[in-house]
Amino acid sequence: MKTNIAKLRNGLGLTQEELARKTGVTRQTIISLEQGRYNPSLQLACRVSRALGAGRIEDVFLDI
Amino acid sequence: MLGKPHWFKRRKYAGWGFWPCCWQGWAYLAAITAPFFVIQAVPFDNEDIRWAAYFVWGAVILFDSFHIMSLMPKDERERTHEAVAERNALWAVILVLCVGVAYQAASGSVQGRIVFDPVIFAALGAGVLAKAATNIHLDRHD
Repeated sequence: MKTNIAKLRNGLGLTQEELARKTGVTRQTIISLEQGRYNPSLQLACRVSRALGAGRIEDVFLDI
Repeated sequence: MLGKPHWFKRRKYAGWGFWPCCWQGWAYLAAITAPFFVIQAVPFDNEDIRWAAYFVWGAVILFDSFHIMSLMPKDERERTHEAVAERNALWAVILVLCVGVAYQAASGSVQGRIVFDPVIFAALGAGVLAKAATNIHLDRHD
Protein backbone atom coordinates (compact mmCIF):
# COMPACT_ATOMS: atom_id res chain seq x y z
CA MET A 1 0.00 0.00 0.00
CA LYS A 2 1.39 3.41 -0.97
CA THR A 3 1.87 5.76 1.95
CA ASN A 4 2.90 9.31 2.74
CA ILE A 5 4.55 8.27 6.00
CA ALA A 6 8.15 9.16 5.06
CA LYS A 7 7.12 12.57 3.71
CA LEU A 8 4.99 13.46 6.73
CA ARG A 9 7.57 12.07 9.16
CA ASN A 10 10.38 14.11 7.59
CA GLY A 11 8.12 17.16 7.67
CA LEU A 12 7.78 16.74 11.43
CA GLY A 13 11.50 16.07 11.84
CA LEU A 14 10.88 12.64 13.32
CA THR A 15 13.24 9.70 12.90
CA GLN A 16 11.89 6.23 12.11
CA GLU A 17 12.86 5.17 15.63
CA GLU A 18 10.91 8.05 17.19
CA LEU A 19 7.81 7.31 15.11
CA ALA A 20 8.13 3.63 16.02
CA ARG A 21 8.24 4.49 19.72
CA LYS A 22 5.22 6.81 19.37
CA THR A 23 3.15 4.16 17.65
CA GLY A 24 4.31 1.18 19.71
CA VAL A 25 5.92 -0.81 16.89
CA THR A 26 9.47 -1.63 15.82
CA ARG A 27 11.57 0.46 13.43
CA GLN A 28 11.41 -2.44 10.96
CA THR A 29 7.62 -2.13 10.87
CA ILE A 30 7.89 1.60 10.14
CA ILE A 31 10.35 0.83 7.32
CA SER A 32 7.94 -1.77 5.89
CA LEU A 33 5.05 0.69 6.10
CA GLU A 34 7.04 3.45 4.41
CA GLN A 35 8.06 1.12 1.61
CA GLY A 36 4.48 -0.04 1.17
CA ARG A 37 5.34 -3.67 1.90
CA TYR A 38 3.09 -4.10 4.93
CA ASN A 39 -0.64 -3.44 5.21
CA PRO A 40 -1.33 -2.34 8.79
CA SER A 41 -4.40 -3.08 10.88
CA LEU A 42 -6.95 -0.29 11.21
CA GLN A 43 -5.74 0.27 14.76
CA LEU A 44 -2.11 0.76 13.70
CA ALA A 45 -3.15 2.93 10.74
CA CYS A 46 -5.03 5.20 13.17
CA ARG A 47 -2.05 5.37 15.54
CA VAL A 48 0.35 6.24 12.71
CA SER A 49 -2.01 8.86 11.29
CA ARG A 50 -2.45 10.42 14.73
CA ALA A 51 1.30 10.39 15.42
CA LEU A 52 1.90 12.16 12.11
CA GLY A 53 -0.78 14.75 12.84
CA ALA A 54 -2.84 13.75 9.82
CA GLY A 55 -6.52 14.57 9.90
CA ARG A 56 -7.62 11.50 8.00
CA ILE A 57 -6.16 8.03 7.50
CA GLU A 58 -6.53 8.54 3.73
CA ASP A 59 -3.99 11.38 3.94
CA VAL A 60 -1.36 8.89 5.11
CA PHE A 61 -2.38 5.63 3.45
CA LEU A 62 -3.05 6.51 -0.14
CA ASP A 63 -4.64 3.32 -1.49
CA ILE A 64 -7.59 3.34 0.93
CA MET B 1 10.86 -13.17 37.21
CA LEU B 2 14.65 -13.16 37.21
CA GLY B 3 15.28 -11.91 33.66
CA LYS B 4 13.78 -8.93 31.84
CA PRO B 5 12.27 -9.30 28.35
CA HIS B 6 14.08 -6.24 26.97
CA TRP B 7 17.44 -7.90 27.66
CA PHE B 8 16.71 -10.37 24.87
CA LYS B 9 15.61 -10.62 21.29
CA ARG B 10 13.54 -13.36 19.76
CA ARG B 11 15.48 -16.02 17.86
CA LYS B 12 14.17 -15.86 14.33
CA TYR B 13 16.68 -17.61 12.15
CA ALA B 14 18.18 -20.36 14.31
CA GLY B 15 15.55 -22.18 16.31
CA TRP B 16 13.27 -21.06 19.09
CA GLY B 17 13.67 -19.10 22.28
CA PHE B 18 15.62 -15.89 22.79
CA TRP B 19 19.12 -14.53 22.64
CA PRO B 20 20.79 -11.73 24.64
CA CYS B 21 20.88 -8.31 23.03
CA CYS B 22 22.72 -6.44 25.78
CA TRP B 23 25.19 -7.12 28.59
CA GLN B 24 22.39 -7.70 31.10
CA GLY B 25 21.16 -10.58 28.98
CA TRP B 26 24.61 -12.16 28.90
CA ALA B 27 24.96 -11.62 32.66
CA TYR B 28 21.57 -13.32 33.15
CA LEU B 29 22.69 -16.30 31.06
CA ALA B 30 25.90 -16.58 33.10
CA ALA B 31 23.96 -16.25 36.36
CA ILE B 32 21.46 -18.99 35.53
CA THR B 33 24.16 -21.33 34.22
CA ALA B 34 26.51 -20.91 37.19
CA PRO B 35 24.34 -22.84 39.71
CA PHE B 36 24.66 -25.97 37.56
CA PHE B 37 28.44 -25.86 37.97
CA VAL B 38 28.04 -25.18 41.68
CA ILE B 39 25.67 -28.15 42.07
CA GLN B 40 28.18 -30.25 40.13
CA ALA B 41 31.12 -29.14 42.30
CA VAL B 42 29.51 -29.35 45.73
CA PRO B 43 30.02 -32.77 47.36
CA PHE B 44 26.71 -34.37 48.31
CA ASP B 45 26.43 -37.43 50.55
CA ASN B 46 23.28 -38.41 48.74
CA GLU B 47 23.28 -38.19 44.94
CA ASP B 48 19.48 -37.88 44.99
CA ILE B 49 19.86 -34.44 46.56
CA ARG B 50 22.14 -33.38 43.70
CA TRP B 51 19.57 -34.55 41.14
CA ALA B 52 16.80 -32.80 43.05
CA ALA B 53 18.84 -29.58 42.99
CA TYR B 54 19.36 -29.95 39.23
CA PHE B 55 15.65 -30.53 38.78
CA VAL B 56 14.56 -27.56 40.90
CA TRP B 57 16.99 -25.15 39.25
CA GLY B 58 16.06 -26.49 35.81
CA ALA B 59 12.38 -25.89 36.58
CA VAL B 60 13.15 -22.32 37.71
CA ILE B 61 14.99 -21.64 34.44
CA LEU B 62 12.20 -23.18 32.36
CA PHE B 63 9.52 -21.14 34.12
CA ASP B 64 11.57 -17.94 33.84
CA SER B 65 12.29 -18.56 30.16
CA PHE B 66 8.59 -19.02 29.35
CA HIS B 67 7.80 -15.91 31.35
CA ILE B 68 10.38 -13.86 29.44
CA MET B 69 9.11 -15.22 26.12
CA SER B 70 5.50 -14.42 26.97
CA LEU B 71 6.33 -10.82 27.91
CA MET B 72 8.70 -10.14 25.02
CA PRO B 73 7.22 -7.16 23.16
CA LYS B 74 5.97 -7.89 19.64
CA ASP B 75 4.10 -5.60 17.31
CA GLU B 76 1.37 -6.79 14.94
CA ARG B 77 3.75 -7.33 12.02
CA GLU B 78 6.12 -9.42 14.14
CA ARG B 79 3.20 -11.43 15.53
CA THR B 80 2.01 -12.20 11.99
CA HIS B 81 5.51 -13.19 10.89
CA GLU B 82 5.96 -15.42 13.91
CA ALA B 83 2.57 -17.09 13.38
CA VAL B 84 3.35 -17.89 9.74
CA ALA B 85 6.87 -19.09 10.58
CA GLU B 86 5.58 -21.32 13.41
CA ARG B 87 2.86 -22.73 11.15
CA ASN B 88 5.45 -23.61 8.48
CA ALA B 89 7.73 -25.12 11.12
CA LEU B 90 4.84 -27.24 12.36
CA TRP B 91 4.03 -28.44 8.86
CA ALA B 92 7.67 -29.51 8.43
CA VAL B 93 7.57 -31.37 11.76
CA ILE B 94 4.27 -33.08 10.89
CA LEU B 95 5.63 -34.13 7.50
CA VAL B 96 8.71 -35.72 9.06
CA LEU B 97 6.65 -37.45 11.76
CA CYS B 98 4.22 -38.86 9.19
CA VAL B 99 7.09 -40.06 6.99
CA GLY B 100 8.59 -41.63 10.12
CA VAL B 101 5.34 -43.48 10.91
CA ALA B 102 5.05 -44.67 7.30
CA TYR B 103 8.67 -45.85 7.31
CA GLN B 104 8.20 -47.69 10.60
CA ALA B 105 5.04 -49.36 9.30
CA ALA B 106 6.71 -50.35 6.01
CA SER B 107 9.91 -51.67 7.57
CA GLY B 108 7.92 -53.43 10.29
CA SER B 109 5.65 -55.17 7.80
CA VAL B 110 8.69 -56.44 5.88
CA GLN B 111 9.95 -58.00 9.11
CA GLY B 112 6.51 -59.41 9.85
CA ARG B 113 5.73 -57.25 12.89
CA ILE B 114 4.43 -53.72 12.80
CA VAL B 115 5.88 -51.50 15.49
CA PHE B 116 4.81 -47.90 16.04
CA ASP B 117 6.64 -45.39 18.18
CA PRO B 118 4.06 -44.12 20.72
CA VAL B 119 6.00 -40.86 21.13
CA ILE B 120 5.32 -39.94 17.50
CA PHE B 121 1.59 -40.55 17.97
CA ALA B 122 1.65 -38.60 21.22
CA ALA B 123 3.30 -35.66 19.39
CA LEU B 124 0.74 -35.74 16.59
CA GLY B 125 -2.11 -36.06 19.10
CA ALA B 126 -0.78 -33.16 21.15
CA GLY B 127 -0.63 -31.07 17.98
CA VAL B 128 -4.26 -31.89 17.14
CA LEU B 129 -5.35 -30.96 20.67
CA ALA B 130 -3.35 -27.72 20.67
CA LYS B 131 -4.82 -26.71 17.32
CA ALA B 132 -8.39 -27.48 18.42
CA ALA B 133 -7.95 -25.63 21.71
CA THR B 134 -6.47 -22.62 19.92
CA ASN B 135 -9.31 -22.49 17.39
CA ILE B 136 -11.96 -22.82 20.11
CA HIS B 137 -10.32 -20.00 22.06
CA LEU B 138 -9.99 -17.77 18.99
CA ASP B 139 -13.57 -18.44 17.82
CA ARG B 140 -14.89 -17.43 21.23
CA HIS B 141 -12.82 -14.27 21.56
CA ASP B 142 -12.53 -12.86 18.04
